[in-house]
This record gives sequence, C-alpha cells and structure tokens, in this order.
Amino acid sequence: MKRAVTLAIILIAVIGIAYAVTSKLPEEKNLRPLGQFYLKNSYFGDYSAKSPEVVTSILWDYRGVDTLFETAVFFLAIIGSLMVFRLTKEQEKELKGEPETSLPLPIGTVTRVIVALILAVSASIALHGQLTPGGGFQGGSALAVAPLLIIVAFSKYALERNGLDKTMALVIRSIGLLGIALTALVPLLLGRFIMQNQPIFPGEALGVPLGGSLVIYNLFEFLAVGAGFTAVFLLLAIPEEKFRKVLGVRK
Amino acid sequence: MIAFLWALTVVSLTVALLIGLYGIARKGNLVKKLIALTIIGDTANVLVVMIGYRLTYPIAPPILPEWKMEALNAFVSTAVDPLPQALVITAVVIGMAVNVLIAFGIIQIYRLYGTVEAGELKEALPRILRWR
Repeated sequence: MKRAVTLAIILIAVIGIAYAVTSKLPEEKNLRPLGQFYLKNSYFGDYSAKSPEVVTSILWDYRGVDTLFETAVFFLAIIGSLMVFRLTKEQEKELKGEPETSLPLPIGTVTRVIVALILAVSASIALHGQLTPGGGFQGGSALAVAPLLIIVAFSKYALERNGLDKTMALVIRSIGLLGIALTALVPLLLGRFIMQNQPIFPGEALGVPLGGSLVIYNLFEFLAVGAGFTAVFLLLAIPEEKFRKVLGVRK
Repeated sequence: MIAFLWALTVVSLTVALLIGLYGIARKGNLVKKLIALTIIGDTANVLVVMIGYRLTYPIAPPILPEWKMEALNAFVSTAVDPLPQALVITAVVIGMAVNVLIAFGIIQIYRLYGTVEAGELKEALPRILRWR
C-alpha cells in the first residue's frame, strides 16, 4: 500500500513537472553545424569517409582516435576481469573433466540451429556496418550470445572440447585488437596521419561502398568484442563449488 | 502535445537518474548498487541521444537512403544529428566493459567474504585482513 502511494506520488509529480516545463524546454528543429557537416560529408564531399552510414564514419574515421582509446579501455577492463578470476595452471587442470548435464534432445537441436543463425546475423551486422545500422561492437555483442547459449544448453565443457577455451578466446581477441592497432598505424607508415581513411583504403568494391578502413575496423572490433565477452562468459560458467574448492575458501 | 510528450520524456529520464543516485547512495547490497549504476549509465546515454533529436516530422536515421547526390539535400533536412549517437556507442562499450569488471569484483568479494552487504563488509574486511 505504502509503495503504491509512493509510486502514484512520483507519477503525478513527473506529469505535473512535465506540464510545467513544457513551454520552457527548447524545441530543437535544426541541426547543429557540426552534425550537418558530418551528414553532408560522410559519403560525398571533400572530407568523405565513403560510407553512407554517418554514425560509423564518425566512429571510425572523423573521431577515430576516440574509438581507439575506447577500445583500449575495453581491453583493459576485460583484462582486469580476467585478472580478478585468475587461476594457476594446476588449478585450471583441477577444474577440467566435468560430466555434461543432459537436457532433452530438442533443446540441443534447436540450439544448434539458433547458434548458426546467430553467427550469420552477427557477421552480417558487423560487416554491413558501413551500410546499415550496426558495426563491430553491435555485431560482436550479438556474436557473444552464441557461446552463452551453448554454455546454457550443453555446458562449458562442450565448448572447450570443440576448441573454444579461454586461451583460444584470448588469442582471437588479441588478433582483433592487434588488427585495429595495425590498421590505425598503416597510414602513419605511408606518411599520412594516424587513422586516416581516404584515400589510402579502397572506397568501393563490386559497386558496394566499403567505407575505406571502416569495414576493416568493424571486422576486427567484431572479433575482439565477441571473443572478449566469450572469455568472460567461460570464466563465469565455472561451477561455483569447484571454484570455491580450488580457491580454498573457508565457509 | 508533442512538446508535452517531449517534456514528459525528459522529466521521466531525470527521475530515473535520481532513482539511480538513490540506489547507489542508500542500498547496502553491492549488486543493487551495480544495478543502480547501470540505470544511471543507460539513462545518461538516452539523454545524450535525445540531444541529437529534432522535433520535426518526418524524421530519418542518419543513414543515407540512396547513394545519389540528389538525395543528399532531402536527407540533411530530415536526418537526426549523428554525433551524439556516435558518442553514445563509445559510452555504451565502455560502460558494458566496466560493468563486467565491477560484476567480477562483486562475485569475487562474495566468494572470499561470503557477503555483498556493504555494512557487513565494513566489519568483515578488516577482520579477515588481520587474520591473514
């Protein structure tokens, strides 16, 4: 009862304040000059990124260095998470060899189909990042759902038996991050600016705009984000009792 | 009417920010604190996206519909500001990674100390450290 009253008071207050400030809020009808510049130049114009998707061209071209450091923060945060859950080699050996839980057959079959679909859709989101909404991070987040689904439907050990263990995920993630760093350095080696896009990278292939380096960045970010979250999920999927036993936690 | 709905959205988001602040300050459970933190982060992101919105009709996403020079003027007159969206993507990625880090920290605290209540941790932490 008390909760309902509080909720009602908050609701009425929100509507009242909104009614009071309606005429005072500025109504933004026009674009700011900076936004207009990006919209005009993203595909056509002298400072073009050769990509019709303006957000991606800002992300990896006009404000590319921002995104480079954002990727660095992402890298450090995942490394920090893995450090918190670190184990020695002997401890990791102790965790292996768990019998699998067996769920009814349809769950496994449906999971297989859905995982294939997720892989295709996430790759499409990432590789069409210069044409449609989406990009490396969104595609990578979608990709990370696939191992999560396998962990739930089968087990963490099914994933590891097929070769995708924590080390493999970290290797893929490092390949992605190394690719981003190298792609950022290529223009510098050619005597241009760091992270410069046009005219170094090809703007079009088979009549489809590639956005120069955007598609390369998106591909590597896709790998880095997908594999980074996969490593996190693999660590989270370790059974709690086993982890406690290995850590030697006093109850 | 549109202006009222706009104001309603802005005020609701501000209230959500305040709820998040309340959760961080008043809730003792670390998991609840993390949930409140994500509420604040997501609300701030939505507010930043709203900076780029235009109160006109029709309104289009910042993606060039046709790859022709003639379509550019119509596009610029209807599209929303893309810059806040690009900044928000950056913020979302960082927020997600940092939330993962905090969640791992909370899980480890629970494993080692057996509680996630800030008040209990205040007493448990020095005792355990002295024991070590």
